[in-house]
Formats: sequence, C-alpha cells, structure tokens
Amino acid sequence: MITQKTIDNYIDKIPPAPDALRETLMHLNIGDLTKAAKSASQDKALNNYLKVLVNKSIYGFRNEVSDVSQIFGILGVNQSQQAVYNYMTTLLSPSKWELFKLNRVIFYNLQADLSVNWQKILTHLHIVDKDILSAISLLPASIIVSEALFCSKKNDVAILRSVNPIDFNTLLKRLTNLDLFDICGKIAQKWEMPESIVQIIQASSGVKNTNDKEIDRLGRWMHLLLFHTLSQPQYIEAELNDFIDFQIEYVEDIYEDFSALMEIE
Amino acid sequence: MRATVKDGVAIFTPQGFLDGSSGNALLSIDDIEVTIQQNADMVLVSLKKVIFFNRNGLDSFVKMFLKVRASNHSTVGFCDYNTKKFDAITRFYKDDLTFSLFQTQEIATLFAASYKNQSKNVLLYNEDKSQRAAMAIELHDNGHNPIVTQTKKEFDEKVKVENAYDIIIQDTYLGQMGQKVATRVTGNAIIYTISSFLDAEIGNTFNIAYHNNSLNVGFRLFIFDAYKVISMNIHALNFFSKLATAGAEYNASICFVGLSFEKTPKEFKETLEDSGIMFFDQMDDILQNKSLLEELGASSAANIKTKRAINKGTITELPNFIEATVCTIEMMTNSKAIKDDVLINKIDIGEREGKIASSIGYYGDMDGMIILVFPTGIAKKACELLIGEETNDSELILDTLAELVNIVGGKVKTLLGDAHISVDITLPRTYPNVDALLEIVQNKKGVQVDLSFNDDKFLFFLTR
Repeated sequence: MITQKTIDNYIDKIPPAPDALRETLMHLNIGDLTKAAKSASQDKALNNYLKVLVNKSIYGFRNEVSDVSQIFGILGVNQSQQAVYNYMTTLLSPSKWELFKLNRVIFYNLQADLSVNWQKILTHLHIVDKDILSAISLLPASIIVSEALFCSKKNDVAILRSVNPIDFNTLLKRLTNLDLFDICGKIAQKWEMPESIVQIIQASSGVKNTNDKEIDRLGRWMHLLLFHTLSQPQYIEAELNDFIDFQIEYVEDIYEDFSALMEIE
Repeated sequence: MRATVKDGVAIFTPQGFLDGSSGNALLSIDDIEVTIQQNADMVLVSLKKVIFFNRNGLDSFVKMFLKVRASNHSTVGFCDYNTKKFDAITRFYKDDLTFSLFQTQEIATLFAASYKNQSKNVLLYNEDKSQRAAMAIELHDNGHNPIVTQTKKEFDEKVKVENAYDIIIQDTYLGQMGQKVATRVTGNAIIYTISSFLDAEIGNTFNIAYHNNSLNVGFRLFIFDAYKVISMNIHALNFFSKLATAGAEYNASICFVGLSFEKTPKEFKETLEDSGIMFFDQMDDILQNKSLLEELGASSAANIKTKRAINKGTITELPNFIEATVCTIEMMTNSKAIKDDVLINKIDIGEREGKIASSIGYYGDMDGMIILVFPTGIAKKACELLIGEETNDSELILDTLAELVNIVGGKVKTLLGDAHISVDITLPRTYPNVDALLEIVQNKKGVQVDLSFNDDKFLFFLTR
C-alpha cells in the first residue's frame, strides 16, 4: 500500500523554502522586524495568508490589520516567526482534500486555534522562546502528510478501520517503520527549521519519549492541546478526531492544569 | 464516526473531549443508521480515550443506544472507564440508567456470550443485590464460574488473593440486556441465542437467508443456546422441525442446549428429536468434547444438496472479486500481486503442506463463496498489520485471517454495491489445513485465480 519508496518520493517532491521566506525568517531570527516585513512583502501569497490568519477572531484584533509591517509589529518577533512557519506548512497542503473533509478555511482555522492556544500554554508555563512557540506550526503537517499518503487508499483504509480501530500513524509505522511525525521531522530538516521544533513534534506524537524532560513536558502539553482542538465539532466533522491515537496516560498528569487553563467545566 | 465490529460486538472509540457539541458531531444520523444495519449483538462506546465528558456529550450516544436497541434488541452501553468516570455516569443518569456499564471490553465480552473465553473464574461485586444476582446468572449462563461477594469487605479480602481469579468485576452495571437471536461462531460451529417465549415470531426474527448461506459456505453445526427460553408453542416447533429437515440435506446438525421442558410440552422434544435435533444440558457438553464437535461440525460436504454452477452474473463481476482480494492482500502485506493463471474447474491447490485457508459467503442479488488459500508465510505477514507484531500462534493467525477475509467480503460488498448489486456477507470461516477445506469444496466447480506475492503462491477460488 505505502512503502519506504513512496515516502522518499514524497519528501523529494517537497520544494525548499522560497528565498523570500528564508530571508524573512533570517531577519526575524535577529529581531529585525522592519527588514523581515520588507522581505515578506515580496511574497504576495505570504502577505495574503498573514492577513487572513491574524484577522481570525481567535487573534482578537478589533480592527482589520492588512499591512505586513503592521502585522509583524503587532505580533512581535516570536509570533511573527510562528505565523511564517504556519504559512510554510500550508505550502504542502493539497488544493483539494480527499481523505479528510477539510478545506482551506478550516485548515487555517486549525492553525490559528493551535497557535493562539499554544501561546497561552507557553505563557502559563513561563516559557518565552520563539522556536518553541513556532513548533506548533509543524503539527498540522502530520495531517497533510496523512492526506498525501493515504488519499488514494481511502476506501481500503476505511474497510480496514471497520474491523480494526487502527490510526493513520500506527498504520504507517507498521507498513514502513516510519510514522507521520518522522516524516514531519524530515520536512522540518529540509526547511532548515530549528532542531528543537523537530524534537517537540516527535514528543507530541505521544508515543515517543525523548531523553529530555523539558521536551517531553512540552510534547505532553502539545498532545493534549491537539486533542482538545480536534474535539471541536468542525474538526470532528472533518474526520480528524481519530487520525492519530490519543495517549490518555501520557497527558494525565497535566490534565488538571490544562483544564483550568482552558476553562473546561 | 463508525464502530468497528468484531465477534458481534460493535465498538465506538471517541477520543479527547466529549461534550454536547462534540457528541453531536461524532454521531450523524447516517452513523446511527449504519450501526443499526450492522446488527451487532452488543453496541459499546469505549471511554478509554476520552479524557473529559459531561452528560450532554454522553447523551448523543445514549440516544443512539435507544434507537439501536429498539431496532435490534442489542445490548448497549459504555465501557473502558475508571471508578471516577463510572461514578460520574451513574450520577448523571441516577434514575434513568437504561443502558449497561462494563468496566472493560473484556468484561463486556463475558456478557456477550461469545464462547471464545468461556469457563473463566470471575470474582464480582456490586453493592446492589439484584445487580449481583443478574450478573451471576448471565455469567453462569455464558459458561463462566462467577464468585459473588456479598459485601465490599469480603470483596476487598478476596481480591488480594493473587492469581485466584481470571477476571474481577466491579464498577459494572447491567442495563436491559438484549433479546435478539444472536449469532456467533466458535470453532466452526454457529451458535444462535434464543430466549423468552418462542412463537410464530421466530420466523421473523431468525435470519433464514443468513442461515442458508452459512450452510452453503460449509458450516455444519448449529447450536441453539436455549438456556433463557421459557417455553415454545406449536408454531416455533414447526419452524425448528422445518429448519432441521432443510439442514439434513446438507448433512448439518442442529442442537439445543439448556432447553427446559417445564413449560414446554414434553412431546415437543420427541417431535424435534424425530427431525434430527439433538439436546444437551450444557454448552460444554458439546464445546469441550472435541471428538463430538468434530463429528458434528466437520462432517463431509459430499451430501451437499445441489452443486450449483458458476453463472454468467458471477463471471461478469469476477474482476470486482479479484480486485477486492488483491487490493486487500496487497494492502495487508505491502507487496505487489502478479496474476499467474485463471481457470474454470474444480479447485486445484497443488502442494498442500504449509497452507491455511479461509472462506466467506455472500448472498442477496447474487450468491456464492470466496475461498482464499494462503501459504502460512503470507497469512502471517498479512496478519502482522492487524496484530502489530510477528506471531506464530496458529489460533491467533486463523482468527486474524478471519478478520482479513471479512475485509475482503466488505470490499466485495462495496464494489458490487457500486455496480448496483446488493449483497450481504456471512461470517468468515477458517480452515487450519487444506484437507479441511477440500471436504467442503473439492467437488465444486468455480473460477480459480493463481496469484504470486513476492514469489509466494496464493490461490483465489470463487464458487457457488
């Protein structure tokens, strides 16, 4: 169904990050918002994406924000980098979703929901680190990879899952010995994302502990945030609720803290 | 979301947070319809992967329970929870607990009477006396050995004894149990569960098409679990007599287990015996007696009533059957199939050593039987994807193979459905060796397709 070769072909086809993006990220990395905005403005699609993203209600801006330099100014360096990485992830998304009942609007909503709540979590944990903040942007890539690898096998997978509640991550691992998060890691490396992002994403799968206590702690929060988000009706209807396995034991020790932070009653 | 179905138990596994809005999104009207059509004996919602729920979230599933039970008389409820979740559910539905609660899926299956894991020593406690009694009766009826503790103190003391019990039941509640003619397979016997008063209605509730196709697929032993039957009237008697007579043409055996004649006329027993029906007091009298089981269940298929020819309709749809099989095996083994040969004749397996087989029947607008013969190596590889690890346990391999052929059957059903041909599928049957298969099919003509998967030979045979 899916082999190592299928995955290699998929990774090979992923284009390197465009020059304008690389420049934008480079300037953000040294905290130069003005130059970053200037580089970003060369990429029309990025401009448009940032405008759509930050004007979503979850970001809470009263007035419409439309200019890139204005957007970067409001978001600051850390959130600007996160937003640019979110845009990079969307470059992988298909024009038409077949496996999941998704479209561009719902996918952007998912990115916005995850990004804003991840910021909230990091503030709660007293963590100020732009790479850790940006790590969340790679998480939806696991959904894109599932779509890319399994969309042509949709019916087969549906029949298989009618007798065995197997998730896409486990299925891929059993078929190829690589899982969705390994592939996300490879994408991150190709795009020269910081290593810490790759590690946190691996830990957020809920099935791979690293040897780093801090990374594992962040992985737990991210895993729980993902399932909190995927329990919203629009994502359940998009059939995202069970695309990976929720590891309830992995997050049990942070649940009380999480539910208080997210005001779950 | 859809339930997975195994051994007559349908299980929903929602994940994450379950509140009113997510509950409604998880279950659409279509999902409920499909669940009803699946006709499972037991419909459960596992809370194993739910970290938070409230009453509104559970209500979506409870509404589904009511609809499924009204249509199918299935047992319905929640499972896989801890004490905290159990307490929350019983608090939410204090005066309205109409469904069951099973602490684990394993406990639920004890009450599903699958006869797969019978004779378990089960320690149980429930503070409600009538619940304790109801559980003990159900467990006993299903072939287990319940040890009922009357107080929490007694339970806590007994639970400390290591390795004394196979399963410990607490935080479990039996709601209204199902009352349907349930079907399950153990070994190669089909067990039907009947209960209460049997009258002319049995003709409506018993799935005769399913039964006939099970005969056609090669099942020969049919056991009616009648522990819970109170009485039967002349209409039910006629029904069973006719069933036995029809089955005799296939050399099939029909047995009744646990039927009491306290309220049923004694002469009914003689009439049924004259029709060839046998009576046993305990299920174990058959299931634990391997030679008797073999004698009744593995009888020769030479007496099959009619040897039906493969017809044009089947040949026209042959590519669909082959595609369904090849796609499934390719998916499960992650290897490419090469079609070597196609011929219409009696089955020719060649080398018999090291092969196992499985079959599944379909019926409706078309009918017939798909037979798959696997070298053990391919079977093991195909099973790895479902089990998640390599195994040499032949029983587990056969069990998983049944699941695999069920997937093939499901795919055939879908592909034929696309061609506007409506069929249902029987339960899958497995054969530990080629000889057992040949007893059923050696005289049948059909289409044989030889396939290679990475140099391993695999055989597909389609017959009627």
